[in-house]
This record gives sequence, structure tokens and C-alpha cells, in this order.
Amino acid sequence: MKQFGKSALLFVAIGLLLYTGLFVATERLLLRNGHSNPFFKIATAEANDYDWVILGASHAMPFDFGDFNALMQRETGLRILNLAAQGTGPLYNRFVFEYFLRAHRTRNLLYVVDSFAFTSRTWNEDRFADAKLIRGTPFAPAIAWRLGRYVRRDGVDPRALLDYLSGFSKINNRDRFRRDAWEGEAQFNRVYRSSVTAVAQRIVYLYPDAGAPELCARYLKQFADVIGTAREHGIRVIAVKLPVPALFRERLPNEAAFDDAVRRVLTDQAVPLRDFSAALDNPNFYFDTDHLNRAGVTEAFQRLLKPLLMTPGGS
Amino acid sequence: MLFTSLDFFVFLPLVLAAFVFTPGAQRWAVLLLASYVFYGFAQPFNLAYLGAVTLVIFACGWGLERTKQRALRVGVFVVGLVAVLGSLTAFKFYDFFAGEVTRGNLLGGIKLPRLGVTAPAGYSFYAFSAASYLIDIYVGRLSGRQSLGKVALFTAYFPKIFAGPIERATNFLPQLLSGLRADPVRFALGLQLIGWGLFKKVVIADNLAPVVDHSFKIVAFAPPLELLIGAYFFAFQIYCDFSGYTDIALGISSLFGLNLMENFRRPYLSRNTAEFWAERWHISLGRWFRDYLYIPLGGSRAGGLRRAINVMLVFLVSGLWHAGLGYGVGWTFLVWGALNGAYQWAGLATRGLWRRVGEALPRVAASAWLRVLRIVVTFHLILLSWVFFRAGSMHDALLALQKIGTRITDLPHLLTIYPFSAEQLTGFGLIAFLLIFEIVDERRPVFQRLAEAPVALRWGAYYLGIFALLLLGRWQAKEFIYMQF
Repeated sequence: MKQFGKSALLFVAIGLLLYTGLFVATERLLLRNGHSNPFFKIATAEANDYDWVILGASHAMPFDFGDFNALMQRETGLRILNLAAQGTGPLYNRFVFEYFLRAHRTRNLLYVVDSFAFTSRTWNEDRFADAKLIRGTPFAPAIAWRLGRYVRRDGVDPRALLDYLSGFSKINNRDRFRRDAWEGEAQFNRVYRSSVTAVAQRIVYLYPDAGAPELCARYLKQFADVIGTAREHGIRVIAVKLPVPALFRERLPNEAAFDDAVRRVLTDQAVPLRDFSAALDNPNFYFDTDHLNRAGVTEAFQRLLKPLLMTPGGS
Repeated sequence: MLFTSLDFFVFLPLVLAAFVFTPGAQRWAVLLLASYVFYGFAQPFNLAYLGAVTLVIFACGWGLERTKQRALRVGVFVVGLVAVLGSLTAFKFYDFFAGEVTRGNLLGGIKLPRLGVTAPAGYSFYAFSAASYLIDIYVGRLSGRQSLGKVALFTAYFPKIFAGPIERATNFLPQLLSGLRADPVRFALGLQLIGWGLFKKVVIADNLAPVVDHSFKIVAFAPPLELLIGAYFFAFQIYCDFSGYTDIALGISSLFGLNLMENFRRPYLSRNTAEFWAERWHISLGRWFRDYLYIPLGGSRAGGLRRAINVMLVFLVSGLWHAGLGYGVGWTFLVWGALNGAYQWAGLATRGLWRRVGEALPRVAASAWLRVLRIVVTFHLILLSWVFFRAGSMHDALLALQKIGTRITDLPHLLTIYPFSAEQLTGFGLIAFLLIFEIVDERRPVFQRLAEAPVALRWGAYYLGIFALLLLGRWQAKEFIYMQF
């Protein structure tokens, strides 16, 4: 029995060594193939100081597709880091922002507000356990420590921390040799053909808990915390609602009530809200039901965002 | 709770620890509590069904033991059997039958109400185990004086509850009476079995599944070669999925010092369909039907026609039993059963002929190439029946076979130009590995070879298996598929 125990211990020890080697190898692979994950962008950021950081969900991501972020930086002469990630609400964005501020600075924060991200655990607590997000996140003890805090304080699933610490999702990643890009980026040049059915299905998907106002209040508080954190670091905050097609916009559930609620939060914090949601109704500016394509981001940038980004100081 | 979930990897060590630190005579109680936690984890209400089945068979078992009057014994027996198997039939088929009656206007416009319930997870398996308990008591193979707790454990035992094997009380209960004890050798064997079962399930079966699903999703649009690949992949997917799960069940039981019956024995190396069903595929189910349906109907002692009817009846019932286990409920399962029954008929009808041929040409009969030919032919006969099992409807099954059949002569050329996906190539590689493993295992068990191999080789094989699980396995990780339209 003693011999069996010794053998078992040795087997486990060698296995752990091999696992560590595999863990290190997958981290190196991540650094080679990483792309759209916000923590990857922070880890590989060229500078420590930025003029603008963009946070939000997937509506903000097209501004970093292809070479568009470089174009925006060239045209404005500003350093911009887009940390938006698909399907992420204020809780996850707070997590990203806090980590960014650990070793970086920004003068301004542009927060892209989408009502769906404030209505469900799906886009907040549950996002932390998303294997796709975890496997694109480089390993850092500081991220692990922060994630632990979110598990303890904010109801995030402890399995997310276990997955991150063990690197399981990275090791088990079937797409380990592919670039970690959101599928939407491949459709950046596509022009979408409107479909009422598609929009209806999309709305159902984005708003799984549409009738739960207490959730919205919880995530508005998280949003206020993001602004508060920015304020503590002397960062100016501007909130925007990006353009979406009329067909999509008209079907958003309880949007007017959400707008009132978010305006109240922003007014309390003296943060301006720029509502561009109705600015680009032409469906040719979108590659699917609600995401801007190349023509759309170009138009939105030139007409809407560039003046905003280049305005010094106040609104 | 699934064997492949993180919850289970926390659950099992806890149960093991509790088991080890509990005195031997009470260890069965630890397993019983663990089994109820396991079964009720996702759907606590299902415990009500499990409890009801347990109480019914326990009460009827005691009743049969105490009752000497024949009429009363028959009554108790029938009540118990109808309660268990009748409820299984109702859960599985009532809604399907009600739908067909309504759709076909079979009752002159009368619409049968739908129950809107499906069988609780594992019901097909533990209902059969429960029925075998009652039958064995009725015929005198088992005493009805069993403790409620141990009967409850027999019914609920967590490694086997979801996917078998369909254990017999005559094998299971005596092991509890003698006290449960794990030893290092059986512990190591158990871990090996668990590892191999996990490999078959999450590496082989779950990597084949997306290709199969894609092929059979819309049969009308699938190219013939894709359907053919889908059919081959499904044959191995269902084997690895099912046998992987039962290997894990056997392995876990080894950790606790319990022996469950072997359920799969390299079925695709069968030389004929009789061997496939009797000795290699889902052995516990085959023996259940043999002992509790085929033999009571007369079995092989019955005359030619009667025997043929019995054989077909068993396979039709087997087809019905398989309905509702994850591939829907439909007429295709009856066709699947009938086809396999027809294979048995053909085997029985030609058995004499093959024996005479073998006697006339002994060297040919004993040759390896003939054995390979028989294995390949048997595999393809079974493969043909799997198309009905997997297809969503009779129409899809027949269409798939028609599309494959009409292009069969073009296949060699199509193979050279078809753009195989990475998933398909991975699938072929995994199937090739499985076949090589099983061919080696057929001659002498691989685990026995490993036990005799140098430590470095043995441990190397274990590490390869573990890291294959980590790198290639499709686990229960949550992935948000951020839909686009």
C-alpha cells in the first residue's frame, strides 16, 4: 500500500510537471494568436498612456476591426485602445477597466451603452465563465486575484476562476491554432439584407430576462461604479449609444424606460450621453441585424465620433 | 450530473473519501446517499419516480416472498411488473401514440390528450433492472427478503443509473452482503477503465458528433459522400458514447470494490450479427431480453416458425426500448429492430449451410481473410440499420440510403476530390486508433499488456491518454455562441 501510494504521488508529480509545460506552451500560443480579447489587448498594448479607452459590447467592436483603429488614431492624432468585447455588460467591463488602470492610464473613457447588456446575468456574471473569453485571456496573477474578488463579491461562478487558474479552456481549445477573432470581423465588408424574422430572433436572444427590472437596477449600479472608478483616476467619461437600424431599434423592449434610467445615472455623475442610435438607418451600413460594417463605421466615425473624440475637455 | 462535468469530478472524490472513512458494513449507505444526490442533482423531482419504482419492487418482492398462494403471487407479480414497465411504456410512447392517432384520425376524430411528460433520465435502464429484480424473485432465483436500503441502492446506484449496464440483483446484492472493500489493484483498474471510457466518450464520440449532426441535419441537401461519412461516423459515435459511459460506470464501481457486468466487448469485431447481439453489443440488454422475454416465449426450444416469431418480437421490443434515448421517438426504431431481427432470421436460416461449407473447406473456414471478410460484412449490415436509428424520420433514412446507393459506384472517384474538413480527418484518425486498439485488445487485453509493460511505457501510455483527453476532449465547458443573423 505504501509502495502504491509512493507510485501514485510520483505519477501525479510528473503529470503536474507535464501539465505545467502544456500550460506554458498554450500561453505562448495565446500570445501568438490572440487578437480581440480585451485582456490580450491590455497585455500587448504598445503604450501605457492613452487618450481614449473604449468599453462596451459588440456594437463597439467594429471600430477595431481590420485596420480601422489605426485609421482613427491617424486621423485624430490620438491614442485609442478599444477594449470592447462581445456580449459584455457593465460588470465584465468594470473588471476589464479596473485591470487596465492597474498599469495604464487614459485621459478619456468612451462607454458604448447597449440596453441588452443591462438586463441579464447572461451578459454579466455568466460572461466570466465563457470558455471563449477565458481562453483568450493571458495568464496574470493580478487578473486571477481580481477574478477571485468578483467571485467573492459579485456572484461570479467560482468555476470561472478554476478554469482560469488551471488554463483548462486554453489547453482544451479546439481553435488553438486560429487567430482569436470574433466571427463578426470576417463579415466586416458584408452588406446585410434586412429580415424581420432575424431581428425578432436576435432580440429574443439578447433579452432573455426582459421582464426583470431589478437586474437592470443592479447593472446600472455597476455602470455607475465604472464611472466612479474613472472619476477617481481623473478620467473624463462620455457615454454613447451607437447607430443601429430602425428595424432593430423599433423592436427593442422597454428602450424608453432604459434610456430614462441610464440618463438618471449619468446625470447624477455629470456624464453626457450622446444618443446616435437613430443616426444611421440605412441598412447598407450594417453587416448583420445590428452591427456596423466598414462603410457604417467609416460614416459613424467621420460624422459622429471624430468630433466627439477630438473635443477637448467638456462636451 | 454527467460523468463528464466538473461537478462530477468534485463529487466522485468526495464520495470516495466518505466511502473509505466509513466502516465496511455501512459503506453501502454512503453509496445510496451519493446515488440520490447524483440522480437528483439536476432534477430533484425525478427522485420521486426513482423512489416510487423502488418502493413498488421492494413491496412486491416482499409480497412474493411471503405469499405461497399461486393466484396471489401472480397478482402481486403482475401488479409490480405493470407498474414498472407500464409506466415506462406510458412515459416513452403515450404522447407519440396520441400524436399519431390525432394525425392519422385513427379514432374517428377523437383527439387523445397529451401528457407532456417524458421519461425521467435513466428510466429505461433502471426500470428494466427493477423488473429483473421482480422476475428473479417470482421464479425463485432471488429471495424477496432484502433490506429496503440495499434494494434502493440496487435501483439507484449512480454509476449505472443513466446508461446501464442493466444490472441483475442476483449479481449486485450478494456483493453488498459480503461488505464493500476497495483494493489498490482494482482501484488502478478502475482508474484505467474510467480513463478509457472518458476517452471514448469525450474524445472519440463527441468529436464525431458534429460531423454526424451536420450530415443528418437536412438529408435532402447533404451530398451522398457526406451522408456516407455521417453514417460511418455515427456507428462509432454511438458505440463510443454508449460503451464509454458504461466503461466509466464499471471503472467507478471498481473503485468501490463492486463488479458490474461487462456491457460491450469490441462489437465491431463480430463475425456475424448473432455474435454482435448476443456477446458483444449492449450485453446486459441482450441478456435481459434473452432471459426475460425470449426464453419465457419458448426461446430456441420452440419450433422453426415460433422461434422466428420470438426472435423478431424480441428485436421489435428492443427497437421500441431504444426510442426516446436521445434520438427521438419514431417508427424508425421499429424498422431498426425489424432489420436486426431479419438479420437473425437470415443467420438462423443459413447456419446449417455455413456449417456444411466449413466442414467441406476447413482451411478456408479457418483463414484470417475469411474472418476479416465476415467482420466487414457484419459491420456493414449493422451500419445499414444504424441509418434508421439516427435519421430523424423514415423519409430521411430511406432518402439517405437512396442517395448513397445511387452514387455508390462514384465513391472511389469522389473520395479523391472531396474536400475533407479538419473535423472529418480528425474523425477518421480517431476511428483508426480505436480499431487498432480493439484489434490488439481482442488478442490480449491492452490493460493486461500495460500491466506487464515497463513502468516508463505504462506511464507514458497513461500520460498520452490523459493529455489526449485534455487537448482533444469536448467537455462541458460553457461557450457562448454569439449569434449572428
